[in-house]
Amino acid sequence: MPNEISGGSENSELSELLDRSMPANSEAIAAVVDSISETLAKLDVPEQKRLEIALAVQEALANAVVHGCGNDPSKHVRCRVKSAPNGRIVIIVTDPGPGFKADGLSDPKKSENLYSDHGRGVYLIRQLMDEVHFERRGNEISMWKY
Amino acid sequence: MDINVRKRSQVQVVQLRGALRMGPAVDSLRQTLEEAMGNGDTRIVMNLSEVPMIDSSGIGLLVRFLALIKQRGGNIKLAQPSKFAVQTLRLVGVLNLFEIFDNDDSAVESFA
Repeated sequence: MPNEISGGSENSELSELLDRSMPANSEAIAAVVDSISETLAKLDVPEQKRLEIALAVQEALANAVVHGCGNDPSKHVRCRVKSAPNGRIVIIVTDPGPGFKADGLSDPKKSENLYSDHGRGVYLIRQLMDEVHFERRGNEISMWKY
Repeated sequence: MDINVRKRSQVQVVQLRGALRMGPAVDSLRQTLEEAMGNGDTRIVMNLSEVPMIDSSGIGLLVRFLALIKQRGGNIKLAQPSKFAVQTLRLVGVLNLFEIFDNDDSAVESFA
């Protein structure tokens, strides 16, 4: 179903490649990430690009499960993958949580954070993807790969 | 994720196979490292040649245990990390926290 998503490929028609709903359980993340990788492989997306997208999706789903759903498996996370006619790909991850302000995150590369066991997810997403938007109330992330 | 541990010259060589990411993979490796530390094993070589991806949970686990083990006079050294694993560790600024080797042998010998 064609759709419109702001950013990356503004106002162009998008083709839906995948639409998954998963329980908010960390063990459910891998299957969704792997199915996206397989879908992209069938589209001949290069391996490096697939790995970068897969890791970004992994991080977005993990954030949705842990922070958006509080690890409550009765809640669900939605993950959609769409492609634009110019080959750009967008992945949208939505959770039912209250959302958060991504601007307030600390820099994981600061010396005092290097040995921290958390706080790198959103930073990685921003480094790996070409365009990242937090939508709605901060509980939906759109990640573009050109 | 498959985790194979063998001991060579008082060094634990941990061979990982599969993505190191939140869920069973990170939980299993955490258990492996806790057991090693519980047994007093603080010389660890982590072979990452068959780890195509490490997520932030996996990175957090590695740096956390690196700090704990260094406090006890040991170290976690990486052997043959995949290209994308290296890229990811570099992206978040932790690559230089680890000593990296081309193979298990040289990593094990570096503890001598």
